[in-house]
Amino acid sequence: MAATGDREDPAGAAGGAGGAAAGGMEGAEVAQDAEPDARFTFANERTFLALTRTALAFVVAGLAIVQLLPPFPDVPWGRRLLGVPLIVVGGVIAVVGYLQWSRNQQALRHGAAMPESILPRVLSVTIAAMAIVAAVILLVSALLEP
Amino acid sequence: MAPAAKNPPPGKKPPPSLAWERTRLAWSRTVIAFAAVGGALLKTDIAAGAIVVAMAVLLWVLFRIIPDQAGRAASPARLRLVAMTVAGVAVVALAVAFLGRGA
Repeated sequence: MAATGDREDPAGAAGGAGGAAAGGMEGAEVAQDAEPDARFTFANERTFLALTRTALAFVVAGLAIVQLLPPFPDVPWGRRLLGVPLIVVGGVIAVVGYLQWSRNQQALRHGAAMPESILPRVLSVTIAAMAIVAAVILLVSALLEP
Repeated sequence: MAPAAKNPPPGKKPPPSLAWERTRLAWSRTVIAFAAVGGALLKTDIAAGAIVVAMAVLLWVLFRIIPDQAGRAASPARLRLVAMTVAGVAVVALAVAFLGRGA
């Protein structure tokens, strides 16, 4: 059987074993700081990488708005108002994504409940807010246009 | 309960798993995303774009040429480097947004 607390060989668990998920059979003391099941560790890593790609998408979207979009008529600050928050949120997602990966990994090691993530809320609120801001800028631009 | 896998003999590579394969593909997508951001930046600011493309190459090298042992999760230091790199790209993008030609 794959050694539950063997840090040298989590790959053994990745090969299909329950790995540290079987830690419960060996007593709570082993499960306290056991190497988590490699499948959960990989899933956590993939979530981090997905958040990283989301962060990059935010950054590049913000940059494209500022650099590539033609200026809004009579609203010269419109592109920055839309683009800069997206870039800032992209940077924040990258850092918070790492912290979340770290907290999840700790929880997996200790067999604790997974901590709640604020990132889905942050993403939803940001996207909704940017949509509203974009609509307002378009309206203002249309109203001010002679 | 799933049957327990045997540990590979010492010195032998562990068998690849689907979870590891999916993670490897996720790393590839992330590096490609980095390169795409670098390419987009190159259009507007050559120096900033070159920095980000260099970061993508660095990540690729870290991931491909100096991989963690196959089938093992990435080390915290590597993930921290990725997070810091994306934060750095965001800072570069902010600078371009405020100082770039199109801004």
